[in-house]
Amino acid sequence: MSRERILAAARAALGRTAPPDAAAIRAEAATLLAGPDRGRPPRTGTLTERFIERLTHPKVGGTVEQVAMLTDLPRAVRAYLSTNALPARIAVQPEPRLQALDWSGIATHDGVATDEILAVALADCGIAESGSLVFHSAPTSPTLFSFLPLHHIVALDTSKLLEWLEDYATAYTAAGQAQPRNVNIITGASGTTDIEGRLVRGAHGPGFLHVVLFGG
Amino acid sequence: MRPNLPPFQERAGAALRDKTLKLAIDRTTGTAERNRAVAVAAWPEFQSARDLGRDIRAHVVNNIDHYLVEFERNAVASGAAVHWAATADEACQIVVEICRKAGAKSVTRSKSMLGEEIGLPHALEAAKIERVETDLAEHIIQLAGDPPSHIVWPALHKTREQVKELFAASHRDPGAMEDVEAMVQAARRELRAKFMAADVGISGANFLVADTGSVCTVTNEGNAELTTTPPRVHIVTAGIEKLVPSTAHAMALLRLLVRSATGAELTQYTTFHTGPKRPGDRDGPDEFHIVLVDNGRTKMLGDGLAEMLRCIRCGACLNHCVVYRHIGGHAYGGTYPGPMGSVLTPSLDGLPASRDLAHACTLNGSCQEVCPVKIPLPTLLRGWRDRSWREGLEPRSVRRALWAWKFVATRPALYRAVSAFAVLGMQLFAKRGWIESMPLAGGWTAHRGLPAPASSTFMQQYQARKRAAK
Ligand code: SF4
Repeated sequence: MSRERILAAARAALGRTAPPDAAAIRAEAATLLAGPDRGRPPRTGTLTERFIERLTHPKVGGTVEQVAMLTDLPRAVRAYLSTNALPARIAVQPEPRLQALDWSGIATHDGVATDEILAVALADCGIAESGSLVFHSAPTSPTLFSFLPLHHIVALDTSKLLEWLEDYATAYTAAGQAQPRNVNIITGASGTTDIEGRLVRGAHGPGFLHVVLFGG
Repeated sequence: MRPNLPPFQERAGAALRDKTLKLAIDRTTGTAERNRAVAVAAWPEFQSARDLGRDIRAHVVNNIDHYLVEFERNAVASGAAVHWAATADEACQIVVEICRKAGAKSVTRSKSMLGEEIGLPHALEAAKIERVETDLAEHIIQLAGDPPSHIVWPALHKTREQVKELFAASHRDPGAMEDVEAMVQAARRELRAKFMAADVGISGANFLVADTGSVCTVTNEGNAELTTTPPRVHIVTAGIEKLVPSTAHAMALLRLLVRSATGAELTQYTTFHTGPKRPGDRDGPDEFHIVLVDNGRTKMLGDGLAEMLRCIRCGACLNHCVVYRHIGGHAYGGTYPGPMGSVLTPSLDGLPASRDLAHACTLNGSCQEVCPVKIPLPTLLRGWRDRSWREGLEPRSVRRALWAWKFVATRPALYRAVSAFAVLGMQLFAKRGWIESMPLAGGWTAHRGLPAPASSTFMQQYQARKRAAK
């Protein structure tokens, strides 16, 4: 069986005479990441400032606005629709907090179509270091919401901002924690550099990413 | 190596004569080099991050048996089916068999160099399953019928003019395609329906996370998630060396990978896939298969190439290689080009067919300097040269020339006489400090000048100065 063959070949190549010591290996792996901020990029400003600075950096290309509360989201969406001259028909993630908002004046549906123009979603958390949004797949958070629409409007609670990528790992993937089917870490609108290395937006995923920060 | 290739010298010669190719290579590698430089300059801790990257990857390689078993356990617990393939053929059989069982007519694929390595495109074709490449570059080369020429930008050898022609000839609704933006939109329209109609989606893996059993993919375009979410079945093919201990370790490596590849800080879409669709999920695959592929990796581990297994496929060594930038990827003949490819190909395809690759290197060391996990590529290449010599693979002309050189070099008086004569001879062909052509040097001067030597040899100048100083 190939499984045994591969493992035996690996053990022979490593010169193992005894089974690997799992506890020692785990300890060594943990030590590697132990140094304070080992190998991390520099940081300035507050957590929210850093997040905004990264998200709106030309390399990431997101846009952002800040509102007081989640209930201000429909107003922000209406303004976005009118600024961009988009039809008032949008997909809203089947997330109870979003569904409970007052969407009057806009026709909403809770599924995302193949050629959806605009979808609104609530991120599970954000990462300041890279200006990223994190989505966990769930019955209330279908994965395709982040990939099919042309315009992606994402609400994010500022109290859900994390500093570093590793902080996400510590908070959500520690031993024994059940993992969602998909964790999507989204950093800016879709893009490609496949033709002559030049960045072009809107490759397969959304061409526009707009973040509405609330709280804080 | 691809079958029926002409010798390396001919392949390289043809690439050097192709001026459009040079233009295409320069456009992408130039941009990548500049963007990486900016990203690295903005990161004072870069060197210490590279040490960390090297240490994490070395730790995994040194404990690969442990991490494979841990990953398998956790992946199975999440509902994934884990398959093991010792060889490329076995891996393809497993994938084709899963597709057959699923009754698959159409398969979408998100770019994976491992898939290329094991010949998956051909295997799917042989099984008469429609294969839709979804990464823009892979889409371009699928239309062109070309192999990839770079591990990050597989269509780097195509100029925008060539892409426009390809799309115009094969897309249902190509539009006017007046600029690159419009070409990207044309591909978006063309592929959208295919994403949703596929029966199986196949992806590679950037990392396999041992403690969660998750598979991490990164893309700019979002095509990986559109490949893996709508179909009923998602198959991952991954090299066994892709393991990392935990998500936090993956994060530390992602920082290095993305900056080294494109100069961005994080790729647009970084996704951790863990098992199949859950109860109540509106999308996601019903079946989630992971094929762990050895295909020579355990052999590399025992063959003194353990350091090469640290590679995270960022492509920086290609972008910074003077040879790659002149000949491009296809001339190398294997799946992986450039410095990392020249180390991998002899191991994957055998040294007799690929011994030229280790020689097609100036050993200038740029690749090692930019490698985010500090792989000593020049040392590994020298290892192949050494082995090729020991195994008697070097042609007789090379062996004779080296013996002649040794004969002269170990006799100082003779060496001085011969080099003085050679310097005089070369002067005859020099114009303004450069030699544009000279008998026996055509291989060099056909594509570049040779700096003319000084008017006398080092020893002559040294003696003259010693006399003057007295
Ligand atoms: S050898 Fe190093 S620089 Fe080259 S692709 Fe691998 S990780 Fe990147």
